[in-house]
Order: sequence, then C-alpha cells, then structure tokens
Amino acid sequence: MNRITAPKISNLIPAVYLGLTVAAGFAAAPAGAAEASGDILARGAKSWSENCSRCHEMRDPMEFRDDLWRPIVTHMRVRAGLTGTQQREILAFLQSANNRAAEPRKVSTDRAVQGASAKSAQTGADIYQQTCVACHGQNGTGSVPGAPDFTATDGPLAKDDGVLLRHITEGFKTPGSPMAMPPKGGNPALGAADIQRVLTYLREQFGGASR
Amino acid sequence: MKRPSRKPSAVFAATLAAVAMSQDVLADATYDALKSQVESLQKQLREVKDQLDAQEKDTTDKEVAELRNRVEQVSAQSEEWKNADSVVHLAGYGDFSYTDGDNQNGALSAVRFNPIFHYQYRDLIMLEAELELEVDETGGTTNNLEYLTVDLFVNDNLALLGGRFLSPIGQFRQNFHPSWINKLPTAPPGFGHDQAAPVSETGLQARGGFPLGGESRFINYALYAGNGPILEIVGNEIEAIEAEGRTSNDDDEAVFGGRIGILPLPRLELGLSGATGKVAGEDEPDATRSYRVFGADLAYQWRSLRLRGEYIEQKVGSEASSAAPDSAKWQAWYTQASYRFAPTGWEGVVRYGDYDSPHDSSDQKQWAVGVNYLFAANAMAKLAYNFNDGANGSAADDDGFQVQFAYGF
Ligand code: HEC
Ligand code: HEC
Repeated sequence: MNRITAPKISNLIPAVYLGLTVAAGFAAAPAGAAEASGDILARGAKSWSENCSRCHEMRDPMEFRDDLWRPIVTHMRVRAGLTGTQQREILAFLQSANNRAAEPRKVSTDRAVQGASAKSAQTGADIYQQTCVACHGQNGTGSVPGAPDFTATDGPLAKDDGVLLRHITEGFKTPGSPMAMPPKGGNPALGAADIQRVLTYLREQFGGASR
Repeated sequence: MKRPSRKPSAVFAATLAAVAMSQDVLADATYDALKSQVESLQKQLREVKDQLDAQEKDTTDKEVAELRNRVEQVSAQSEEWKNADSVVHLAGYGDFSYTDGDNQNGALSAVRFNPIFHYQYRDLIMLEAELELEVDETGGTTNNLEYLTVDLFVNDNLALLGGRFLSPIGQFRQNFHPSWINKLPTAPPGFGHDQAAPVSETGLQARGGFPLGGESRFINYALYAGNGPILEIVGNEIEAIEAEGRTSNDDDEAVFGGRIGILPLPRLELGLSGATGKVAGEDEPDATRSYRVFGADLAYQWRSLRLRGEYIEQKVGSEASSAAPDSAKWQAWYTQASYRFAPTGWEGVVRYGDYDSPHDSSDQKQWAVGVNYLFAANAMAKLAYNFNDGANGSAADDDGFQVQFAYGF
C-alpha cells in the first residue's frame, strides 16, 4: 500500500503563485525604450511627485543623465516596492525632464512640433492637467518642494508674459531653489502655441491679468 | 562745258551712294559680330550659371547628407548610452561627525564612506552592493559589506533577491538610516546595531508592489527567509541579540518574515512587519528557542513637513537547556517631526525615542533636537543636541551634541 503524502494546499499556494508570476513575467519581457508619449510622461510626473520625496528629499530630475537615472530608478523600485509600470513611467519622466534649456532649436523641428500640437489643439486646462499639475498642484500653490505659489500676489505670475513664456519653454531655476522647473514641464511635445495657452490658463485660474 | 559741270554732282551722288552703301554694309557686319558676341557671352553665362547651380546643388546636397549622417551617428550614440544592455553605476554616501557631551571629550568621532555599486542587465537583473568603510578609534579602518544582493525582476509586481540585504522589518534600517537621509546625526535609541531593530539578513527575499485600485493607492510587500540572528550569552544572561545577516545558521532553523506597506494616500505609508523562527546562543547551537519580531511604522509628508514613527520589538523565548534560560525582549519606538523652511535650506527636527532592553544600563529615553542646513537634496549639515535619560551613571544617561556633515551621491 503506497501512502501518498498530499502536500498541504497552503504550502502549495505560494509555489503556484511564484510559478505563474515567473512564467507571466518572462513572457512579458521588458519593452524597449519606446518614445515616451505625453500620457506616460504625465503619469510619470505624478508618480514621481507622489513617491520620490517620501523617504528622502526630492532629487532634481536634472541631477542625473538619462543613462544614470536608469539604475537609480531600478534601485528605488526595489527599495520602495514600486510596480514595474511606475518604474518605467517615472524613468520616462525623469529622462525627459532633465533636458537643460537647449541651445536655440532648429527652426524645422520647432515647426514640426508646433504643427503637431496645433493639430491636437489641447486647451490650456488640458495641458495644465496633463503636464503641470504633478508639480504645481490642482490649486496652483505647488505640490513639490520648490514649486512656487501661483496664487500669491507677488508670486511668479507678477512677471511679464515674455519672461514667463521663456521660463516655461527653456526651464528655469532660481539660485538656491531645491528644484528646477524643467523645460516645457518635461513634455517636449508642447509647442509655442500650447505654452501660450497654458500661460493664459494660469493667469485666468490663479489670478493676475495678462500684462 | 556741260559735262564737266554734271560730273561733279554725279560723282558726289555716287560717292554718297557708296558711302551710304558701305555704311550699311558696315552696320550689318558690326551688328552680326556684336550679336554673335552677345550670343556667345549669353551661352557662356548660361554655362557658368549651370555650372554654378550644379556646384551649389552638389554642395548643399552633400552638406545635407553629411549633416544627416552626423545627426544619425550622434543619435545612435546617444541611444547607445541610453539603451545599453548593461549599466554600471556608482552611488553611495559619506559623512563625518563631531561629538561632545557629559563625561566625554569632544572629538571628530566618525568618518565614514559607503560606496554603493549597481550593475543592471536590461530590466531583468540588478546587482546592488554597499560597503561601509569607517575609521576606528585607533586610526585603522573597519570595513563591512552592508549588503549585496542579486535582484531578478520577475514581472512588474515581483523582484526576487538573494544575498545579504537590509532587514525588511520596519522602515528606519532600510529606508532612513543613510546619513544624507536621516534628519539627525544619530539613529533613534534601539535602532542601532545589536539593539531592538534587526539590521540585516542573509537569505532570499521577494519584494514588489501592486496598485490598490483608485488613484495613487498602492501596497508594497517584502517577504524573506533567512538565517536569522544569534544570541550572545555571557554568564547566565543574554548579553545581546545580533541580527546582522550572518552566513551561518547554528540553530539550523530558518527565520521567515516580512513587511507590508500600504499607501492609502500619496505620501502616507503605513507598515506592519513581523518575523518568526528559532534562535540559539553562539556556543549552544542545540539550545534553540523561539524568536518573534513585530513592528509597525508610519511615514507622512505634507509639503515640507515630515512625520515619522516606528515601533519594533524582538522577543526570544525561554529555554531550560541554555546557560541563560530566561526569555528576553528588546523594544524601541520613536516619533520624529522635521520641517524645512522652504525655500531656504534651513530645517528643524525633533525626535523622541524610548529603548527598553533586558539590560537596564543600556535602556534610554531620548529627546533629540536639531537644526540642519541643506545645501542640496543630497548634502546636509546637521547640528543636534540629545537629552538622554538612562540608568544613573551609565553612558545612556549622558547628554551630548553632535555636528555632522553628510553627502549622498
Ligand atoms: C522607500 C524609501 C524610498 C523611496 C520611496 C525612494 N527612495 Fe531614493 N533612496 C532611498 C534610500 C534608502 C537610498 C540610499 C540607498 C542606500 O543607501 O542603499 C536612496 C537613494 C537614492 C538616490 C541616490 C543614488 C542611489 O541610487 O543610491 C537617488 C538619486 C534616489 N534615491 C532617487 C529616488 C527617486 C527618483 C525616487 C522615486 C522613484 C526615490 N528615490 C524613492 C529610499 C527611497
Ligand atoms: C517637475 C516639476 C514641474 C513640472 C512638471 C512643471 N513645473 Fe513649473 N516649476 C517647477 C519648479 C520647481 C519651479 C520653480 C523653479 C525655481 O524657482 O527655481 C517652477 C516654476 C514655474 C513658473 C514660474 C517661473 C518664474 O519665472 O518664476 C511657471 C510660470 C511654471 N513653473 C509653469 C509651469 C507650466 C505651465 C508647467 C506645465 C507645462 C509646469 N510649470 C510644469 C516645477 C515644475
């Protein structure tokens, strides 16, 4: 009489789970670094602003080159228990937000970008919600260290349109501030018309008529 | 004389005619010559122009082609940087501290360098290792492998780690202890080495996270199996519990444990930790006893205000066959608030901590207050004062202040 000892079901569950996830994981091998779309950047900015200052001071996206952010974000994924999706979105955001104010862009690319964004014709509110809200917050008072309060009467909106358009387009850092404003908020797809629209939205929403 | 009189006029007329004719002939000839000259000039000009055009087209075409070529090269190179299969990365931190206090000479009391090495292969594997090099009292250097793990990314929700890792129990040891992160120069009482909080573990670990549904709600987990700690027994008492990732397992029994963290709101994390297993004394591997760990932690950030709190306890059961038969318990907790006066680099911090161990002489209650200056997110100068309350006459009772400079990279 062979007595088969049945392994306890409870012992099997973790093994089965592991087996399944391993199989699923290797099947869905990591996708290559596809061009980040606006949506991914927006989700990345949000995840970044919600997670990356939980344990330590927020590290400025401009602090590291693209290739260095990769192992750092992987390291942080393990440390903070982030999901792979969060890891990829945050990495895409950091890699796009660390561009220094570029040398004057070639006209042709600018035109192409403007053309593309003119087609989509997002409203200023759309752009704000997609690209800016992660750092500047729903109410414009700032949700990451260093982001200014747009509603303050002597805040940044007291500056001229020209200055603000340039600062949004090229990025901006007040000396000593803990973090820089990334060029175009880290979304390179924004064209001049988009930036004008989002600035108009800032003024309407958070005060200070255009001057 | 009629004839001669007509002759001159005829001659004149003839001359006139001849002149006129010759002028006509002359004009025709010059015209033709000029015309052909102009034509040939025009032709030459056209040729030159064509040549020039061709040349120009040639050079712009060439320039454009060259430019395109170069752009392609450069972008290929930058892709090469960005998308290489293997990446090597050096991180870490360093610090030095000055301490002074009751019954103590002021001294530059610690100089530490903790390099961290990362090797990542695609999004599949990462090796992480941290060394701790520290100058000791005699001027020599001690070194310690803080952690070394090989992490395998199985899927978006699971990474498997093997090696020596920071203990996943609680939050101070794994998340806040590096000096550029810790807002005070010291660890909370009970969270140092060989105290209430386990420091590291050698074994296997599964880590990851899941979205909890809804916006920005997440859960993270860390589960491990490891060699577990060992007890240091002196005479008939347990002197200390050493939970420092040993590569031996005298009692031959694994310890299982882990932590679950919940983020119900962005920037708020609540954690629960536990571990269970067996533990034995250094020289009595057969006298095994029960080992239990429990921990709870909280971290919240609202703008520049950070609140943290944590409770931890390690308990070992009694064991009659041991030289130190009694059970023992180490427990500690702290709460900490820090506020940064943004946009300046100044920061204030207050912490209260309480450590309770089987040895009254190491028990301590502590108020720590500090002022920091952040030069950058990763560089900070700290000045702190600790008001300590311990057994009378013990070092745990001495107040003291520390100055520390910490830099993370
Ligand atoms: C759960 C806590 C925690 C969270 C959340 C966290 N970090 Fe970290 N971070 C750490 C710790 C701890 C270290 C120090 C690493 C060490 O000592 O092993 C660190 C180190 C770093 C470093 C220094 C370089 C390195 O790789 O060590 C950078 C840069 C960094 N973190 C960026 C980030 C970013 C970006 C995020 C958001 C994705 C993030 N951190 C989220 C805990 C955290
Ligand atoms: C990654 C976070 C981040 C994102 C995303 C972001 N900003 Fe900013 N922004 C900042 C920070 C930080 C500052 C303050 C910089 C400083 O003063 O050094 C700033 C400053 C500004 C200022 C004030 C500039 C001045 O001259 O004082 C404006 C206007 C602004 N941002 C608009 C935007 C708009 C519009 C978007 C979206 C297209 C956006 N930001 C997206 C972080 C961000």
